[in-house]
Amino acid sequence: MEPMQPFSAQFSAYLKDESRTIGFADSISFPKSEAEVLTILTYCNQNNIPVTIQGARTGLAAAAVPFGGHVMNLSQMKQMLSLREENGQFFLTVEPGLTLLECNQKLASHQLQSPAFSAASLAVLEQMEGKTFFFAPDPTETTCTIGGMAACNASGARSFLYGPTRNHITALRVVLPSGEALALRRGTCFARHRQLHLTTEQGTSYALALPQYRMPNTKNASGYYIKENLDAIDLFLGSDGTLGVITALELKLTLLPASIWGISFFFSAEETALRFADTVRHQMPGLASVEYFDDAALTLLRKQKETGLAFAALPTIAEADRCCVYLELHSDTDEENMEKMVRLGRVMEQCGGDQSRTWVARNETDLSLLHFFRHAVPESANLIIDERKKEYPEITKLGADMSVPDDRLFDVMRLYRTTLAEAHLESATWGHLGNNHLHVNILPRDLSDFHKGKALYARWAEEISAMGGAVSAEHGVGKIKAPFLALMYGKEAIEEMRQLKLTLDPHSILGNGNLFPSVRKEAEA
Amino acid sequence: MISIDSALCRGCGLCVKTCAQQALFLENKKAFCKDSCTLCGICVDACPFHALSLPQKTAKEDLSAYCGIWVVAQCDQGRLLPVTLELLGKARQLADQKQVPLSAVLLSNQAETLARELIFSGADQVLLLSHSSLAAEDEELTFRLLAEEIERRKPEIVLFGATAFGRSVAPRLAARLRTGLTADCTQLEIDKEQGLLLQTRPAFGGNLMATIATPYARPQMATVRAGIFPTPKRDTSRTGTQVLLPFPTKKKPGLHVLETQIQAENSSLPSAQLLVVAGKGIGTKKNMKLVHRFAQLVGAQVGVSRPLVEAGWSDYRYQIGQTGVTVHPKILLSLGVSGAIQHLAGISGAETIIAVNTDPHAPIFQVADYKVQADCIATLESLIQRYESQK
Amino acid sequence: MNLIVCMKQVPSSNEVRMDPKTKTIIRDAKSAVWNPFDRSALEVAVLLKEQLGGHITALSMGIPDTSRLLEEAISCGADEALLLSDRAFAGADTLATSYALSLGVKEIGPYHLILCGKMAVDGDTAQIGPELAETLGIPHITDVTQIVFASEKELIVSRKIDGASQLVQVTLPALLTVVKEIAQPRLPSIASILHAKETPCTVRNAQNLQADTTRTGLLGSPTQVVKTFTPPPKQSGVTLSAKPDQAAKEIAALFEEVKR
Repeated sequence: MEPMQPFSAQFSAYLKDESRTIGFADSISFPKSEAEVLTILTYCNQNNIPVTIQGARTGLAAAAVPFGGHVMNLSQMKQMLSLREENGQFFLTVEPGLTLLECNQKLASHQLQSPAFSAASLAVLEQMEGKTFFFAPDPTETTCTIGGMAACNASGARSFLYGPTRNHITALRVVLPSGEALALRRGTCFARHRQLHLTTEQGTSYALALPQYRMPNTKNASGYYIKENLDAIDLFLGSDGTLGVITALELKLTLLPASIWGISFFFSAEETALRFADTVRHQMPGLASVEYFDDAALTLLRKQKETGLAFAALPTIAEADRCCVYLELHSDTDEENMEKMVRLGRVMEQCGGDQSRTWVARNETDLSLLHFFRHAVPESANLIIDERKKEYPEITKLGADMSVPDDRLFDVMRLYRTTLAEAHLESATWGHLGNNHLHVNILPRDLSDFHKGKALYARWAEEISAMGGAVSAEHGVGKIKAPFLALMYGKEAIEEMRQLKLTLDPHSILGNGNLFPSVRKEAEA
Repeated sequence: MISIDSALCRGCGLCVKTCAQQALFLENKKAFCKDSCTLCGICVDACPFHALSLPQKTAKEDLSAYCGIWVVAQCDQGRLLPVTLELLGKARQLADQKQVPLSAVLLSNQAETLARELIFSGADQVLLLSHSSLAAEDEELTFRLLAEEIERRKPEIVLFGATAFGRSVAPRLAARLRTGLTADCTQLEIDKEQGLLLQTRPAFGGNLMATIATPYARPQMATVRAGIFPTPKRDTSRTGTQVLLPFPTKKKPGLHVLETQIQAENSSLPSAQLLVVAGKGIGTKKNMKLVHRFAQLVGAQVGVSRPLVEAGWSDYRYQIGQTGVTVHPKILLSLGVSGAIQHLAGISGAETIIAVNTDPHAPIFQVADYKVQADCIATLESLIQRYESQK
Repeated sequence: MNLIVCMKQVPSSNEVRMDPKTKTIIRDAKSAVWNPFDRSALEVAVLLKEQLGGHITALSMGIPDTSRLLEEAISCGADEALLLSDRAFAGADTLATSYALSLGVKEIGPYHLILCGKMAVDGDTAQIGPELAETLGIPHITDVTQIVFASEKELIVSRKIDGASQLVQVTLPALLTVVKEIAQPRLPSIASILHAKETPCTVRNAQNLQADTTRTGLLGSPTQVVKTFTPPPKQSGVTLSAKPDQAAKEIAALFEEVKR
């Protein structure tokens, strides 16, 4: 098959993602158009070859890691296709391989011009002049692709205000294993209760029975998005590359707020920090992020700063500062943000904090420093694990991505703290406090720690499911969290998801091992 | 602020568009200027009707008394710096064009030997301060000597290498002489009409080039970085004169250099001019030796991509990319690097990128100025062979 | 110790692009920020003040709006701020700027140390420090990487020069230009921002300073921009030979071209 090349050592980078899981594959392709995707997918479907879809491989759940078969890497499909305006809202259609960073840089520098734009798109571009837009979802790793974000319904710090990727995608083109294409537009095709009918552009109809489970009432990227009278597009967003290949996405653009400030609030005790965050999170308009860094996370940063190099540019964290709440304020004017800052300072003092122990970023340079600080935390944890891996190659970082409803924030923190102390495990915690969604990362020192950590992780999945939480709030399930999905929804629900998948992908060639254990027993044998 | 002749202004608005300060605006089809004008003059060139003008300056003294070009020489451990020779080569062209003498100024404990070299590289005259105490560069002494000799001998152009030394002495001298100085010129020419020195340098972060002149003050001063101009051919048949300069007036020095530590060519990747970057495509750890060998031969430094650090083939401090080091070399040879976006962010400042990779789809090719779709180790071996046979 | 920090306002983005067709500057409406080198200089002053006590004045020349950034300097540790602002200062090159700054320094009064960033990111000239020191008649040290010893009488600093590092002693008053890495600037806190709002910035014009206006602004600037132009675009993607031998020859030629 012409666009497919046999897999060789030079492609070894395409066997892994940021979860550090390493897979294996027989062939690889870098399609440049929907037509090429279609050709490859049809060939694989006819020859029963599993296909793993890839973007920038920045995912943390190994969804893009191939376990055999073909790797379809979409990073070369990165054109901006068209622009559209409706009721003063602007919509940008892009190919899936465009990265978030490139997309937002082009938007910020008003350099959207694309050879693919029609006269109508160019006319819309003119209407956009004088205003700056952005694509609002903001996973920490900005070099991710838009296709990857859609596949796992990514979110990030600013999702507290803007919601996950799902809320910002209004249309999709999806190529199915059969070689047919679906054009899905939000608001045009709905399920009746739990029955969904889809018709491809080629005219084939599919009747899908949606699973019966109820999704938790919290931030969630675990399994198919299912509810009564579901909008068809939502089924494909967050489907982890198991239902079809997304070849184009329409993004709803958001007007960039004129004033963006970031403030880090430092505290001596976790209790005070949580109380502060809980007090302010639902009473301040324009609060885009409510992030948290615990003592261990700050200690990791201090250590990395000492080693110099890339992290030397981090600001110095005072010894007395044991944890940090980061808030980002999006407003129309600096004056508005100044008022909010004054209010936040007051609340901090009321909670027992000291408003001189804050870092305020009021311009892009300082803000990017605080974003660098945020990004440096997981990087530091990875560096520690890489170091330890040299002695114990099997260990990995065990990063939790679970969320609970608002009223269980203090319960879940108690759960994490007591169980970690009991097991004598090293950990570092950071993440989206505003959504009760913390990345508690177990940092195993040896193999025994690694096994203890895995067991503890499974226990959390169970207890958090019982609290009405989600086992994956934003990273997607991929391969790594597939076992916990069963814990969350039960075996029956998994079976229903599997049946749903088989309706669209009868040979189960797509995203093998994502969401649920492979259903390809017969093919593998 | 800018003067606008409203009789000439047609209200076309071109000047408004050029103004980076947003100081110009149109009212009733005429251009007007606000206080925020910085008199940068860009709008003056933009106006097709010559309606805008800058305030006129005049010379404060008789400029015709100034004649000749000087190059301030620098040496290190008894050898002239390459930038000094490069400057002489360029200055020779300028002096020939203007038909004026070219002098080199030298402070050294071995001035006589070096003076000959300066003449071989283009100087007509060498102004020497020779003394056994001048083993190391002395910024304050050089400054005082130049200040006195320039006032006495009145050269019209004085050029410095943009070394740490030059960048410290030249501005101080410009302030003493109340004249203009243009830093880091990439081009020097003589203006055909008035014989002025036209000094071109990058402005606005290198996105725009500016040509600068010093029409009403003398000398016209400029600094130039090493490697901008070619080294002239050494011509041992050239002759010239040597003039011994007196020590400048004694003054209590303000600075005392307590200690100078020579640092071996350090591995400061961010400032490396020539860079070789290895990626996972080099195949095995032992091929790193080849990478280092080639780098040594061409005088380049070595950086690596992240997968290579993760594999333990190199150290984190050599990692190039968003979370490693950001580099700005003149030339970067990328060997077997696929070009993850994180990596590309770290090399976007490179002037020229040559990428060698077997994978035609490697993203590194999208940013490369020169692409080689070939085995990087075979190419590297050929390169090493080529350089070794030249030795 | 009385410290003066010279600070320059620069565009927050260095990405000034020129429209190749209209030859006009495409500007991003982004706000101005402090030259990052100057923020490091301010941080050095704050660290010295923490060690020896004293008073820090931030000094800048610019349009009236610069007072907003001087307020930021106060929130980052300066005790007071002086802005030199006048139409007569507009269009200044480094010589005219250092003359104006020297008048500002005299206005501030007795001082021990003046700190400047090594250079400004918008101009890259690195000239203001030495020019200001000469105008004031005090010694200067460029490219300072560390303050090894400090008192009100003298400093011992290390500086990085080409291929070497130096330890230099200087008697005060003196002027230092510092590299960006000398200190990581702190961010302001809510408390310090509120304090800065209450601390007014002093503004002086040419007349207040009794400036000789033939030495300020465009009139006092010996250099002038004759023309500006866009550099030729980077040529994109030349494919070299795929034969290792031939490719090596071509690569070597490219290296030699750069080395010349």
